[in-house]
Amino acid sequence: MGIVFTRLFSSLFGNREARILVLGLDNAGKTTILYRLQMGEVVSTIPTIGFNVETVQYNNIKFQVWDLGGQTSIRPYWRCYFPNTQAIIYVVDSSDTDRLVIAKDEFHAILEEEELKGAVVLIFANKQDLPGALDAAAITEALELHKIKSRQWSIFKTSAIKGEGLFEGLDWLSNTLKSGGG
Amino acid sequence: MVKMRTEKTASSYSSTGPQQRLDKFINQSENRTCADCGSPDPKWASLNLGAFICIKCSGAHRSLGVHISKVLSVKLDQWSHEQVSSLVDLGGNSMVNMKYEACIPGNLTKPNPDSSVAERLEFIRRKYELLQFSSCDEAIIPCPFPAGYTKCAQKTQRSSVSSALPSPSTCHQNSNLSEKPATKTRIGHAVRSSWVKKELEHKSSKTKAAQAGMVEFVGLIKVNIVRGMNLAIRDMLTSDPYVIISIGQQSVKTRVIRNNLNPVWNECLMLSIPDDVPPLKVLVYDKDAFKSDDFMGEGEIDIQPLLSTARANEKSGMADSMLLRKWVASEENALVKNSVISLVDGKVKQDVTLRLQKVETGEIDIELECVPLSQ
Repeated sequence: MGIVFTRLFSSLFGNREARILVLGLDNAGKTTILYRLQMGEVVSTIPTIGFNVETVQYNNIKFQVWDLGGQTSIRPYWRCYFPNTQAIIYVVDSSDTDRLVIAKDEFHAILEEEELKGAVVLIFANKQDLPGALDAAAITEALELHKIKSRQWSIFKTSAIKGEGLFEGLDWLSNTLKSGGG
Repeated sequence: MVKMRTEKTASSYSSTGPQQRLDKFINQSENRTCADCGSPDPKWASLNLGAFICIKCSGAHRSLGVHISKVLSVKLDQWSHEQVSSLVDLGGNSMVNMKYEACIPGNLTKPNPDSSVAERLEFIRRKYELLQFSSCDEAIIPCPFPAGYTKCAQKTQRSSVSSALPSPSTCHQNSNLSEKPATKTRIGHAVRSSWVKKELEHKSSKTKAAQAGMVEFVGLIKVNIVRGMNLAIRDMLTSDPYVIISIGQQSVKTRVIRNNLNPVWNECLMLSIPDDVPPLKVLVYDKDAFKSDDFMGEGEIDIQPLLSTARANEKSGMADSMLLRKWVASEENALVKNSVISLVDGKVKQDVTLRLQKVETGEIDIELECVPLSQ
């Protein structure tokens, strides 16, 4: 009851909150994206041992963004953070073509999770600044995004280092969440 | 919970797993220090370059892109036999440095364990991307100033990038790198320091500040909040309990279980351990919709013994299951029953049943697992 009131109240006054998980293989650029969104700066990162969490206010939505470490033995722990998640930002290193199959498998495993059934999915084809980076169409194919059923998704070409594509993605996300998705 | 990947074991390796082969290789004396800065006990590796490196240098390697360096964690990634073999074939840190530092100028100072992010990044870029030290080719003008003199080094770097590497990777290279202090220590911050486009003049003072603001993590702790027993009543007849666990600045919480004084969460949470190893704090609250949540007790677990046991085990490399340490329950230590640290499948775990403090009743069952990552 209380939750319903809070939601109604917030949506009337245009101040919504959303819980977002940033997922992807190790070294996809998740932490760099998080701090680029939050501070507007390029920070130098080291591998995330555990997670980072920050609040990003954008388009009248207060995004609580969780950036989880991507190493193989940490990935099974992603699911601890799944409940009450409205959106997933899945980050792919577009230049790491050797591991796109692994990125695809992890992505589809996430989509099958019951707790993320209602979450919308934003894919960032990141590291577009690097040589050999695949474009959004190639990443769409590699991740087999056409297989996604009954869920809103979108893919954006990004470069966290240059700051390109990130806020376009967040625009899509906030519009989708406001229109009732997630 | 943790998916164990079944390894296709090649017949020649039938007796040892890839992780054990990797551990054996990293324990060779040349691989016991970071190939780039000399920090002891590196836990990261560049798969294609063949170098064992510390976590700070691994950050610099990763920023170059996988076309230059593919970084994996020795501890947190699952390795295949093929990956270990290709790493071993590259010959370890001595071979790597013989190749990539063959012609390192005598007046150039390599980064040391205390070097700044910018110093590491500059050296690592010059070493592996620009290959400035691997051949004695005269085309590469050695920097007349030591590495610490960033301005000169960057100039050299930029000019050689434009001639030797007309690639888009140059945009990864921010000109006038300098340190920005990571002053904010909010919840869940991983170690980070930032570099932003700023003038170089305040470099020395800023470097100091950046290091002061950096939080070093020495490992991961995986916490399974199993269940609560006989918890306190905070609503009419029952409570809506949830648990918050925290270490230092980080905290995470479980879901709320409605109307239950003996809730079973079985929820696994993960926190990073800062290098001062503060205790794991456990707080239980009753969720209320219209007023602030009610306190239902607290507890504290000293994780130092678990961490030191895990570290000792890491060095000894034992893999059999056994009991490693035991605490006897008493009124003083808030343990409801004896707590043991045990080795299960090579993982160091501790089971704890805590009697909650500052509350009339309540106990919490917790399982801990520690993954040390000391650098």
